[in-house]
Amino acid sequence: MFRNILKKGRRLAGLGSLVAALTVAAPAMAQDKEPIVFGGSIPLSGVFAFAGIHIHAGLTDYTDWINNQGGINGHPVKYVMEDTAYEVDRSVAAFKKISGSDSPATYYGDSTGFMKTIASELNSQGDTLMSGASFATALTDNEQYPYQFIPGPNYSQMFGIILEYIADQGKDGDMPTVAFVYSDTEFGKDPIENGKARAAELGIEVVENIVTKPGSVDVSAEVLKLRRVRPDFVVFHGYVLSPINEFMVQMRQMGLDTQFMGTFWSSDKLIIDKMGADADGYMGVMPYNYYDSEESGPMLDALRAQAEKSDPEAGYRPTGYMQAWFNAMVWTEVVKRTLDAGKDLTAENMAASLASIEDWDTGGIIGIPVTVKDMSFPVGRIWRVNAEAGRYEPVSDWIHLD
Amino acid sequence: MDWLFFGEISLAGLAMGGLYALIALGFVIIYKATRVINFAIGEIMMFAAYLFLAFAGGMELSAWIALPMAVIGGSILGGVIEKTMIRPMLGESPISVVMVTIGIASILVGLVEFIWTANPQLLPSFLPREPVFIGPLYLAPKIAYGFLIGSALLIIYLLYFRFSRGGVALRATASDQAAAYSMGINVRRVFNMAWVFGSLAASLAGVLVAATGGLSPQFGIIGLSVLVVVIVGGLDSILGALVAGVFIGWLETVAGAYLGGEYRMPATFLVLAVILVIRPYGLFGTHEIERV
Repeated sequence: MFRNILKKGRRLAGLGSLVAALTVAAPAMAQDKEPIVFGGSIPLSGVFAFAGIHIHAGLTDYTDWINNQGGINGHPVKYVMEDTAYEVDRSVAAFKKISGSDSPATYYGDSTGFMKTIASELNSQGDTLMSGASFATALTDNEQYPYQFIPGPNYSQMFGIILEYIADQGKDGDMPTVAFVYSDTEFGKDPIENGKARAAELGIEVVENIVTKPGSVDVSAEVLKLRRVRPDFVVFHGYVLSPINEFMVQMRQMGLDTQFMGTFWSSDKLIIDKMGADADGYMGVMPYNYYDSEESGPMLDALRAQAEKSDPEAGYRPTGYMQAWFNAMVWTEVVKRTLDAGKDLTAENMAASLASIEDWDTGGIIGIPVTVKDMSFPVGRIWRVNAEAGRYEPVSDWIHLD
Repeated sequence: MDWLFFGEISLAGLAMGGLYALIALGFVIIYKATRVINFAIGEIMMFAAYLFLAFAGGMELSAWIALPMAVIGGSILGGVIEKTMIRPMLGESPISVVMVTIGIASILVGLVEFIWTANPQLLPSFLPREPVFIGPLYLAPKIAYGFLIGSALLIIYLLYFRFSRGGVALRATASDQAAAYSMGINVRRVFNMAWVFGSLAASLAGVLVAATGGLSPQFGIIGLSVLVVVIVGGLDSILGALVAGVFIGWLETVAGAYLGGEYRMPATFLVLAVILVIRPYGLFGTHEIERV
């Protein structure tokens, strides 16, 4: 008798536990959707680690932020990455590993070399959309790279924005002259031919082309060449810091009043931090608002709040962080549009969703609504260094190339 | 032809070549005494430049105190490497020893990234900034003063090797290790001294080059590019390092100015190929004849 009561009691207790467990678990099960995976080949070490560390922080912070917002249509987001040391073979290995284990919907590629190398595999797999650190012009070839996009203007478009700004400085038909200074790398040479063609269209004379070998010790001979042609503007491409500082300092020592400009990776605050007063007046093209700019917007404010929350000691967040956050924003938008259309998350469907982006409000990350063109966001603004204030300040309106 | 331009370009190239010669000297001293090709020479340069950054930038010491401290720090590093990692490899195959130096290079890069992060750096400005004119010819001040400082060390080295007991011991060991040993020369100490002196030259070059071209954990690649200078001059010839350093510096600069930056390396490698065909042991290197 006592045993029967005990048995019933146990059954009831077990049933009660089951009911309780189901009651607690029911809402969680409703939200228990498959995670959307953001994969990444991230250069946490090696030559590009100075940016890779911040790219990783940007992707991590965005993932935390979007999950706190409820994920994407109820799907949690999972960020999976491997360190690549900025080596193509390691990036490829990381991609294969992450693809095999986590089936990422989107993927961050750390270099142009990797993104070109992986293209055929990406195309044949057909289930991942890729973007990353590269702004290479070649990647906007939709025939060859249908599932890769540029999270901003490509390098040729950056030159286009810079040249439009320079053309605007021409007064009374007296068009400024320009010299291009670039590194002897695939990265450095990328926009040069298109830049020359665009300059010719705008009536700007390119008076000199200077190629520097990677790891150049001294550029004084190149500076002497520039002194002979006295360009109004010098546009740098393919550098992060050196030898931009040496060109600027030596040309100013020679009494030249040339103005200096650079593209995305040459326009971080690093230039101000390292060059100090010598950086004053340097200009860069940037598709995103700087972290410490006076601009604001709901997403830009959210980014700043999340950055502050994740690492209150970090302070300023470099352009790599902003770029990574914007990448993840685009991935989210693309996944959301694809899911909302009731389609599977295939690379083809996501690429179509990306192409449908028109007049998209980025919440202040980019200052104007943006439209995707040839798998890129051809928009940017010219910013000038105010060395005393220790930051870049806008000197042009947002320029959206047609 | 614009002779003024040619003169200025040549001057810049010769001054740059002086710094190449200093780096090459670091290679040659070590090879001459120990027969070890030190592939970590660029990373020793880099480490010394980071030490300078720490002393002059982080600790805000006067640059003229920080410079000798960094150079001595780099030379001590060379001595420690020799004693702890190269000496145990005595008698092993040259390939093994070379691999050890490559490993040391990787360790130094990792150490620098760990301590100073991977961010590109600029050294605190310590050389005069006023343009230097030699007659009508302009010379960038950093290169001009870097050349002067480097030349001063080269002269001290040449005098030391020629006249001091240590220098004679080093030259004797380089000529014939067994004979030097039998004459009472402490060959192991000479080996260590060679690493210290070689690293000291490289360290000074490292700070001077980084003051001009900036600094990052990948800075050490410059050391490898100077390998061309050493092979052209002769791996075991101090005179060869000096002559080839200045010549390659001039050639690179002139080729870059007249043909374009992309022709700097092809020009130097063309010279290297020609030299290797005509004199496989370099312009001033020892022609070793092995008799069976």
